[in-house]
Amino acid sequence: MTRFWRTHSVTLITVFLLLPALAGFFGLFFYPMLLTAVLSFRPEGQTVGWTLENYTRFLRDPDGQWVILLTFILALGSTALSVLLSVPLALILREKVRGHRFYRLMVLVPLVVPGLIGALGLLLFWGTRGWFNLFLTQLVPFVQRPVAVNYTIHGLIMFYLWLYFPYTCITTLSSLESLDRSIEEAGEVSGATRWQVLRHIVLPLITPGILAGSVLTFMAAFGAFSVPLIAGGNYRPLAVEIYKQIAVPIPARWSAASAIAIVMGALQVIFLSLYMRFVRRAGGAGGPR
Amino acid sequence: MTDAMIEFRDVTKRYGNLLANDHLSLTIRRGELMTLLGPSGCGKTTALRCLTGYVRPDEGRVFIDGTDVTDLPTHQRELGMVFQNFALFPHMTVHDNVGFPLMIRNLPRAERDERVGQALRLVRLEGYESHYPRQLSGGQQQRVGLARALVYRPKVLLLDEPLSNLDAKLREEMRFEIKEVVTRLGITAMYVTHDQGEALALSDRVAIMNRGRLEQVGTPEEIYEHPQSRFVAEFIGLSNFLEGHIQAVDRDTMVVAAGGLQVTIPALPNAGPGQRVLLFLRPNEIELLRPDDPGGTNVFDARVEKATYLGDTMDYRLGFGQDLTLRVQTDAHRRFGQGQRVRLRLPRIRCWAMTSG
Amino acid sequence: MTLARAYLRAMWDAKLILAYTILLSLTMFILAPFLMIALRSVGKGWFGRLWLPPQLTLDWYRWAVEVGNIPEVMKNTLIIGVIAVVGSTVIGIFAGWAFGRRQMPGKEVLMAVILLPRMIPPITYALGVAKIFYTLELVDTYLGVALAHVSVCTPYAILVLSATFEGLDERVLEAAGVCGANTIKRFFYVVLPLIMPGILASMIFSFTHSYNEFTLTLLTYGPHTVTLPIRTYLAVGDGYWEITSAMAMIMVVPSLVILALIQRRAEPEKLVGGFKGV
Repeated sequence: MTRFWRTHSVTLITVFLLLPALAGFFGLFFYPMLLTAVLSFRPEGQTVGWTLENYTRFLRDPDGQWVILLTFILALGSTALSVLLSVPLALILREKVRGHRFYRLMVLVPLVVPGLIGALGLLLFWGTRGWFNLFLTQLVPFVQRPVAVNYTIHGLIMFYLWLYFPYTCITTLSSLESLDRSIEEAGEVSGATRWQVLRHIVLPLITPGILAGSVLTFMAAFGAFSVPLIAGGNYRPLAVEIYKQIAVPIPARWSAASAIAIVMGALQVIFLSLYMRFVRRAGGAGGPR
Repeated sequence: MTDAMIEFRDVTKRYGNLLANDHLSLTIRRGELMTLLGPSGCGKTTALRCLTGYVRPDEGRVFIDGTDVTDLPTHQRELGMVFQNFALFPHMTVHDNVGFPLMIRNLPRAERDERVGQALRLVRLEGYESHYPRQLSGGQQQRVGLARALVYRPKVLLLDEPLSNLDAKLREEMRFEIKEVVTRLGITAMYVTHDQGEALALSDRVAIMNRGRLEQVGTPEEIYEHPQSRFVAEFIGLSNFLEGHIQAVDRDTMVVAAGGLQVTIPALPNAGPGQRVLLFLRPNEIELLRPDDPGGTNVFDARVEKATYLGDTMDYRLGFGQDLTLRVQTDAHRRFGQGQRVRLRLPRIRCWAMTSG
Repeated sequence: MTLARAYLRAMWDAKLILAYTILLSLTMFILAPFLMIALRSVGKGWFGRLWLPPQLTLDWYRWAVEVGNIPEVMKNTLIIGVIAVVGSTVIGIFAGWAFGRRQMPGKEVLMAVILLPRMIPPITYALGVAKIFYTLELVDTYLGVALAHVSVCTPYAILVLSATFEGLDERVLEAAGVCGANTIKRFFYVVLPLIMPGILASMIFSFTHSYNEFTLTLLTYGPHTVTLPIRTYLAVGDGYWEITSAMAMIMVVPSLVILALIQRRAEPEKLVGGFKGV
C-alpha cells in the first residue's frame, strides 16, 4: 500500500486537487447535458421509450423553422454590422487621438453590463417616447411619426449589435496594433496613398483578427437569451423558444425543449466548423508570423 | 538641372523639448552616396523621415531634384526606401512585394512582371518570385527590400540602417552588394547608420551628426584624417588628444607646446601664437622606437604604462612629458613590456590640430 | 469627379473631424441607454414627448424597496452570491493549484474542457440542471441556486487562480527557506501575500458573475430565492418602466463602481470575457 502511494503520490495528489472541479463539471454541466440529450429522445412526459418526434415536430413545423431562421438572421445580421462598425472604429482608436482611453473603455461597457439591463436601456432609448424618436420627430425635418425600433427584427439586430460588437472591436484593434508600422511606411514610400495602404496592406493582414472576433460576436448573438426574452416581443429565437417550452405550457414540455436545445447546440457546432474552415482558407496565404 | 539632388534647407524638427533637427542644411549631389552617421538620438533618422515625408519639419524646406517637396505627401515623392527591419509585406509573395510600387502605379501586368524580373536579377534573387518573406533568410529579405525600392527607378534611394538586423558576416557581404548596385545604377542615395565602418566603406561623402546638428561633412578620408571637432575625431576610429597652445608659426609649420614638450605640426590657417589648440593623433600613426634610437623632431622619451597583446596588434598606454598619456597601437612583431622605456615619434604630417575643440 | 466621390474625398480629408464624430456618436450610442434608465428611475410625470422628466422623485425607489421587496431580494442575492463565491473559490484554488503548479498531461485540453460551460449558451445545460434540481428538490433553495451559480463562476475562477499559482516563483520560496523560514512561516509571509491578489480578483469576478446571473437563476429559482436580476425581469413583465428602471439602477450601480475601481488597477482589456455571459 505504501509502495503504491510512494510511486503514485504525485499523480494522486494532482487528481485529488482536481476532484472538486471535475465533480462540479460533471454534476453541473456534463450530466445535465447528457440528461438533456436523453430527454430529447423521450416522448413528452414519459420516463422510458425512445422517439424522434420531438425533433421532427420542431423541424417540420414552419414555426420551428422560422425560429431557426430568425436566430440566424439576428446573429448573422448583428455580426456583419459588428464588423462594419468595428473596423473603422479600430482604425480610429489605434491613432491614439485625444481621449482614446476613454473611448476604449466605452467599447468595453456593453461587455460589463448584464444583458437584461442593456436591453432595458435600449428599449427605453429607442422606444416611441425615447430620445431617438424624439430627436427624429422634433429635430429632423420631414419626419412626423416615430419610427418603430423596439420589438422589430431590425431593432433586435441593433440591440445585439450594441451588446456584442465589443468582441469584434477588441480583437480587431489588437490585431491592428500588432502590425508593424514600418510596413505601412514602406507602402507609402512605394507610392501608395493611405487609402491604398489600408486596402492592400492593412486590411489583408488584420482579416484573421477580424474573423476571430466576429466568431465571438456570432456565438454570443446566436445564444442570446435574456435580451430577446424581454426585447424580442413576438420574435423568439432559439434560446427563448427553449425557455418558452418549459415556462408557458402546463405541464412543461421538457422533451420538446430538450430537442430544441440539442438542435441549437448542433447548429452552433456545425456553423462554427464551417466558419473555421472558411477562415483557414481565407487567412491561409500568409498572415504575419 | 541642378547638381544637387537632395537638399535640406534649414530643416528643424522638435519633439517637445527635444530638438531632433537643428537648422539642418545639407546637399547631396546627383549620383553620390551620402551617409548620415552619428550616435543614436543624433537626428539622422528624423532627417531621413523629413525626406520621406513621414515627418513634417517645423521649419525649413526639403528639395528633391530642385523641387520643393516639403508639403508633398509621402506617396508622391518618388522615393525608394530600404528599411532596417525589411518591412516586407508578409501576406504577399516576393513577386508581389517587389511589384507593389508598380501595381500601385497601374502598370500593365506584362511590364510589371518584366521589371520585377529585372529587379530580382539585380539583387541576385531570380527564381524566388513565389516565395513568401517568412521563407527567406534575413539577407534575402533585405535584398527583396532593395529590389522593391529600386523597381520603379526612383530618383533617390534611402537606406535606414539596412544592415543592422543582419549578422556580422552577412553585413560585409551586403555592404558590398548595395554599393555595387547603387554605383551600377548611378542612383543618388542617402544612407543612415551608426556604424562607422559601413560609413567609411560605402560612402562618397559622410555627414556626421550630433544632437541634431551637422558636425562635419566630407569624404571618408577627410573625416578620418582631418576631423574638425573633437566629437568627430572621437566618433571615428581611435584617437589621442593633446591640449596645448601655439608657440610659434613659421610658414607651413607651427610649434605647439603641450605638456612641457614642443610638437611640430603642419600649420593651421589663420592660427597665431598663443592660440589654444587640440592636437589629435591616431594610435596607429605613432611610431615606437627603442630608447637608443636617434632623436629628431617630435621624438620623445616615454614609458610603457600598460601593454596589451591583441594577437595581431599591441595596444600600449604610454606616459610621457608632463603627465601626458598616449594610446599607441603597433603590430605585434616587436613588443615592449610594462615599465619599459621607449621613444616615440609623432610624424609631423600625421598630426592634426583643431582650435579648441 | 462625381458628387459622391467629391463628398467621400472631403470626408477623407477631414479625417480628424470625421473621427471625432464617429467617436462621439459611439459614446452616445453606448451611454444613452443608461442615461434613459437613470432618468426614468427618478422621473415623475414623464409622459408624452418630453426630453427630460418634468419632475424628479424618489417614489419609484421607495416603491421598489417597500412594495417590490428589494431588501429581501438583495438579501437573497447576497447570500447566494456568498455561497457561490466560496464554492467556486475553493474549487478554483484546488484546481488552480493543480493547473498552475503540477505536472499534468493534456493540460490545455483539460482547461478547454473546464471552460466549455462558458462557451455554449447556458440555456442548453440549464435545462438539464433544472430537471436534476427538481428531482433533488433543490429548486428554490439557496444551495440550489448557488450551485447553479457555481457552474457559471468556477471556470473563470480556475482560469484566474491557475495563472496566479503559476506565477508563484519557486525561487522566492527557496530564498525564504534559505533565509531561515519554515513551511508555516513561508506560507504566511511569502505564499499568502503573493497569492492574495489573485484570490481576491477571482472572488470579485465570481461575485460579479453570480450577482448578474440570470439564465440559470431563471430556471432554478422560486419565491424564496428571487435575486435582483430576476426581480428586475419580473418588473419588466409588469410593465412599469419606472419601477423597472429603479430596480435596474439598484442592480447596476454597484457593478459599475466595482468596474471603475478595478479598472484603475488592471488593464480593462484583460477582463474581456470576464463579465459577459447572462
